[in-house]
Amino acid sequence: MVLPAQLQNNLTPSEVNFLAENELVTILPRYTMQKMQLIGTKVPALRAMRRESVPLWVALILKSQDKCSIIPPKWLNVAYLKDKYDEEVRKPNQFSALPWNWLEISKMLLARASDDLSDPSHLLRSVLQDLREIRLVKSRKGLKELNESNIVLNGLSLLEINELRPFVLTVMNKLRQLHDTSNAQDIADQDEYEDGGYDDDDDDDI
Amino acid sequence: MSNYYDLDDILADGEKVPCRFNMTVPGLGYLEGNPGKQINKDSKLELPFWLAKVLAVCDLQEESGNSFIDIASPEAINLKVLNAIKTSSKSVDLHKLLPNYYKLIERWCSMYSDPEITTIVMQMLKERSFEINNYASNPNMGVNNDFIYSLDEYEKKLYKLTTESNKQMRSWLRD
Repeated sequence: MVLPAQLQNNLTPSEVNFLAENELVTILPRYTMQKMQLIGTKVPALRAMRRESVPLWVALILKSQDKCSIIPPKWLNVAYLKDKYDEEVRKPNQFSALPWNWLEISKMLLARASDDLSDPSHLLRSVLQDLREIRLVKSRKGLKELNESNIVLNGLSLLEINELRPFVLTVMNKLRQLHDTSNAQDIADQDEYEDGGYDDDDDDDI
Repeated sequence: MSNYYDLDDILADGEKVPCRFNMTVPGLGYLEGNPGKQINKDSKLELPFWLAKVLAVCDLQEESGNSFIDIASPEAINLKVLNAIKTSSKSVDLHKLLPNYYKLIERWCSMYSDPEITTIVMQMLKERSFEINNYASNPNMGVNNDFIYSLDEYEKKLYKLTTESNKQMRSWLRD
């Protein structure tokens, strides 16, 4: 294949970021525009000072031309995120529920629409950084529990899963291969004795 | 399990294992360094794994249960090494032991099912991969450290993949 090996099985962070740009956000337009029918999506007709939801990439373009202001999502404020951070501290064995794209969206909004956010951006940045770090430490710790059959990723966002994926996949594949070697022999032995009886329990530790 | 185009697979197949011949074979003396002579019954020598595997599985005569050669366990899985792995998996120099350690274990265990070895090696993989992840996520830790040099080929690949992914993530967060 032409694609470099590291791009074949995994998305890069910028690709994940690109996907997140399709998320809908609410904007407050400052001018009127007719609706647009695009191939993948529809941009509704905009009327000045009437709230409308549009894909994030449209919102960012309009924002950069000063034609709208973005209403920040309800989770992007210091109080809410602080709450989530406390939840992370309280429950050391699980991840708190954050939006699937929280890293990407918060980064884009902080970089390009920081004047629309309800809290000063340096405070937001620091609480986001805290959240990211505590979750990173947790997921690292969770890697101790890797096994050949399953992994629980409840509460992790796409970007965080994406970051772990190359490591987890490689290790789990190897574990599975090693595990299968002793299983394959069991099955072969059983076949010999039971004349093809196939009621083995090779899923005993799932 | 093996991939025809994978160089590491080929190298793992070429790894030598100690064998003992169960019969005298004429003309095979060159394996021991005596070209043109026969190879005697009970002579011991090291054969590449791909050759030993076939010879050890083929029966000498039908129903005899004897094969051309017996394979002794290679150095990499003798008791001493396994004990070393059990006590501290992170300080074992896998690369020195066998550059394709996991591959050989896989092949060995699928031939002679040995749940004990599999369990030990899986445990080792879990511990070592955790350590590899630590090294990969901290760029300053890998410098001048023996652990990185003791990785086998598979672990090196894992280290590279993980470092790469962490690097991408860091550079995305920065810009």
